[in-house]
Amino acid sequence: MVTSLSSTPMFRTEEGLGRWPYRGKVAAVGIGHAPTLRRWDGDPQTSVGAWAILAIRKAIEDAGVPPGDVDMIVLDRETSTGSHWPQGEPVPEDFLAAFEQTDDLQDGLSKLSPEWLLKNMPELTNVKYVMEAPVCMSMVLTAAIEAVGRGTSTTCIAVKGWHNFPGRYYQGGTNATDTIDNPGKYGLAWAGPASYSTAMQFERYMHKYDKSHDMMAPFIVNSRNNGLKLPEGYWAQHRPLPITVDDYLNSRWICEPANLLDNDMPIHTAGAYLITTAERAQDLKQKPVYVLGHAGAGEVHGDVYTGVRSRGIIETLEEAERSAAATGRKLYEASGVSAKDIQFENAYDGFTLFHVFHLEGFGFAGVKQGEALDFFQTDISISGPNPVSPSGGNIGGGRTRFWMHTDSIQQIQRRAGARQMSIEAEIGLSGGFMPFWSNFIVWSSSPNP
Amino acid sequence: MSSSRALFLVSFDIDGTLETGDPPGPFTIETARHAKSLGFLVGSSSDRTILEQETMWRNAGFDFDFVCRKHEMEFLVSRFECDRYVHIGDTNHDRDCAIGAGFEFEFTDSIFERNPMSPWMI
Repeated sequence: MVTSLSSTPMFRTEEGLGRWPYRGKVAAVGIGHAPTLRRWDGDPQTSVGAWAILAIRKAIEDAGVPPGDVDMIVLDRETSTGSHWPQGEPVPEDFLAAFEQTDDLQDGLSKLSPEWLLKNMPELTNVKYVMEAPVCMSMVLTAAIEAVGRGTSTTCIAVKGWHNFPGRYYQGGTNATDTIDNPGKYGLAWAGPASYSTAMQFERYMHKYDKSHDMMAPFIVNSRNNGLKLPEGYWAQHRPLPITVDDYLNSRWICEPANLLDNDMPIHTAGAYLITTAERAQDLKQKPVYVLGHAGAGEVHGDVYTGVRSRGIIETLEEAERSAAATGRKLYEASGVSAKDIQFENAYDGFTLFHVFHLEGFGFAGVKQGEALDFFQTDISISGPNPVSPSGGNIGGGRTRFWMHTDSIQQIQRRAGARQMSIEAEIGLSGGFMPFWSNFIVWSSSPNP
Repeated sequence: MSSSRALFLVSFDIDGTLETGDPPGPFTIETARHAKSLGFLVGSSSDRTILEQETMWRNAGFDFDFVCRKHEMEFLVSRFECDRYVHIGDTNHDRDCAIGAGFEFEFTDSIFERNPMSPWMI
């Protein structure tokens, strides 16, 4: 019998919790990625469900564990933020014929439930627990790590799928209605594109610290360059061309000061990780990458886990900065390391501009608030002393919110290929979502550095 | 017709318009070649980067006259002296950029249905 557990208790959202009690006792040992597409091509075998299965199988194989050892799955049921199945459109018969279904025929097509996965992965004979975490892989992976730390699981799969149907993104759902109810009527109805709040924050950032948008260019160029060295990523697979400074400086505004290249591009894919105990990890195929700690921004009220609520309709720059700085303090408290120990950072970059807030919040490479853009003018490449976003992030790999975790693990395992950084990658951090709602992980090549 | 000036400048959006786009559109590279054989100036105006557009045309073996960022089409008007400037695209954004730059605009689907090979020769 499979028991469903809540992920809400898994997250460290408060300061003062002390060292993470499972420091060095949990490790990542397997990575699995499906191919990428810009949009689903209609083939049942490339549906988000099919590709989640593929990613899980690859992670299991990468780790070298028997599938029957997997005792827990953690996932995010949602597989898109803005691509909707057309209303009234029937689910394709060939998709229904290709897979075992749950009561929801959209399962495996525009969403992903643990039940659907278990129905279609008969090799997972020993799963005892399933858990759903919101938003993205950073929450999913953190919950999986905590579950293994607590002893709930010894061999845990963390999986996230992203579907992207033909048609325009963010054009359906609420945006397609004539009216908006719920709190969105105070913000969404007026604001516009998804990057609006980040753009607004960055506008103030430029004013506050006397910086310019142009100063972001090296970060974007660096991210795409790194992404082109990520064979699992979309750009490397389908459109392997770099972004130039000229491209970035002349890109059209989506929501000034966020331009087209500050916004990530939705793709269709899935990714999975296998997390286990440090003890178990010693006998597996890949070099273990230990978790020293995790923490993030968020609020827990009962069993409800949300982002940090802003005072107004939209989070201000100062609120974003406070959240990011608090996350940095919490993460270092949990992991028992400090900023100077972090050799690389793989913070989320879905809207490139808030990567600045994350980086400053962590004090990476000694960067303080207001200094990140100056820092971008230095060597932030994988060849330099302070690799920034060595994964390339979403800008380099397409919109998944998980390339940063893959790269962090691969860097420490020395299997990042062309992306392997010049410095010895021993300790790094990865995570996301946005400053107001996040989970970050500190990874290490040894359990007790 | 003046031997030194093309009558038409035709700008194609790529994704959703040309067969080389993602999603592929209905207009083929042969359409572009046919237009060029008529003496038109032919290229693309897209959200894809300049290098991506140039690479696309080169990979298709087509000798393009220009590539342009979609929101900078007014530069084509100042660069090429033509009788008519036409942009073909599949979104309202294409329309807005084209009209804002002083172009005529045709939606991909509607013009393709009328005449797939020479849609601008009305």
